Amino acid sequence: MTSPREHVDESDLHAFVDGELDAENRRRIEDHLHNHAEDAALVEGWRRQNAALRAAFAQTVKEPVPAGLRTASVTSLTRSFGSGVNWARFSPSKGASLRAMRRSDTSRRPPRRPAIIMSLLTLLAGAVVAGAALLAFTGPASPPSAPQRAMIEPPGLVAHAQLAYLTFAQDSRPVEIGADRKAELSSWLGERAGFGRLPDLADVGLELIGGRLVPGVISPAGLLIYQSAAGARAALYFERAGGERPSAPPKTLPGLAAVEWRAAGFAFILIGPLTAETARAAAESAAAQASR
Amino acid sequence: MGQAEDFDETLERLTPGLRRYARALLSGAANDLADELVHTALQTTANEAGRESTGAVLDLRVDLYASLTHAAQRRLRSAAPHRPSLRQPAIMHRLADLPFEERETLLLVVLEGFTYEEVARITRTDRPVALMRLMRARSALTALDRHPSPGADAGRRPGPHLRVVK
Repeated sequence: MTSPREHVDESDLHAFVDGELDAENRRRIEDHLHNHAEDAALVEGWRRQNAALRAAFAQTVKEPVPAGLRTASVTSLTRSFGSGVNWARFSPSKGASLRAMRRSDTSRRPPRRPAIIMSLLTLLAGAVVAGAALLAFTGPASPPSAPQRAMIEPPGLVAHAQLAYLTFAQDSRPVEIGADRKAELSSWLGERAGFGRLPDLADVGLELIGGRLVPGVISPAGLLIYQSAAGARAALYFERAGGERPSAPPKTLPGLAAVEWRAAGFAFILIGPLTAETARAAAESAAAQASR
Repeated sequence: MGQAEDFDETLERLTPGLRRYARALLSGAANDLADELVHTALQTTANEAGRESTGAVLDLRVDLYASLTHAAQRRLRSAAPHRPSLRQPAIMHRLADLPFEERETLLLVVLEGFTYEEVARITRTDRPVALMRLMRARSALTALDRHPSPGADAGRRPGPHLRVVK
C-alpha cells in the first residue's frame, strides 16, 4: 500500500499549489498535470489568483507601521499593567503641569508650524498691501476684511464628558461592570473604546468602582468611575480623538472640576467634585502611571 | 528557535503581515477598522502570553492571527458589510463577495502562507473543513474569472458596487 496512488482529486491539486505535499506526492501531481491539461489549467488559474491577491495587498507591508501599533510600546505597557495602550511619553516631573502635557501633544508636530506662520504672514502682507491700495485709490474706505480662517471647533468633549458624568456618577447603578471584574471591564473597553487600561488613583484617595461604555462625541467612549472615602464620585472619560489641541479651557458646572489632556490619539477628561489640586494630581497620576 | 527572539521583537516583526491580513479580511474597504483590529489582536495576544507566563507561547504567530480573526468576526457580525471602493482592483471586490469563513481561509493560506493545519487552528475548525472552505473560495473566484462579462457579473449580484441614480 505504499506505492503512490494513481487517483488525484481536487484537494490534491490545492495541496500541490499550497506547498502542502511531500516530494513524492509533488512528483505524482506533476506527472498527473503533464497528462491532464484541464487540471493543469485549473492549477495555473489558482496560481494567477494567488498572485493577484498578493499583489493587491503587497503595498501594506511596505508601509511604515503607525505609531499606535508599535508593538514594543503596546506590549511593554501591557506587561507591566495587565492591559494597555501606548501613551505619549512625557515626564510629569515636579513642576510639569498638565499644560506641559498639552504642549507635548502639539510639539510632536513641529514641522508644520513654520509653514503656518509663513502663510499667515503672507496673507497679512497681502492684506496690508490691498488695504493701502484701497485707501490710496478710494480714500477712506472700509478696512480690509481679515483673512477668513476656517476654524473647526473640536466637538465639545468636556461638555460631553460632563454629561456622561452627570448621567451616571450619581445613578444608583453607576457602572456596568464593577471593579471586581477588572479583566472583563478592561477587555470590553479595550475592544470597543480602544483603551482598556484602568488607572489606579488610590494614591489621591480615589477608589475605582467600575466603568461602562458610553456614546462618545464621534465614537464609543469609556467612562471609569471612582469614589473617594467621603463618597464623592469622579469620572475618567476617554475617547479616540484626533491630534487637534484641546478646545478652550474646560468650562464646567459650579462645584465640578475637569482636567483634559490628550495622549496617543485619545482625549482624556477627568471630572468630579474635586478641588483643583486634587483633580490635577489625579489626572497627573492617571497619565503618569501609564507612561511609566 | 523563537525563544531566542524577544517577545516584542517577534510581535514587531509580525505586525506588517497582520495589518495586510486585517485589510484583506475587510476587502481593503476599512483600513482604519483594520488597524483597530490589529491593535486589539496585539493587545489580546500580549495579555494572554503574560497570563500563561513563558513557555506556553507555542506559536505566537498562530495565536496572533487567531486573535485577529476572532476580533474581526465579532466586529463584522454587527457592522454593515464593507464595500471596497471602485478604485480597488477587481480581486478585492470578489473577495468581498466571499463568505467570511471562506475569505479568512483563502487569505490565511495564500496571503499569509499558513499550512492547512495552522489555518484549521486559527479558524477553530479541522483540516478537512479548512480545505473545503479553501476549495469553495477558489472555485467562487475562478467562476468569476471565467465569466468576467458584465452581464454575468450583474446577474450574480445586481449592482453591488454601483448605485444606479435615476
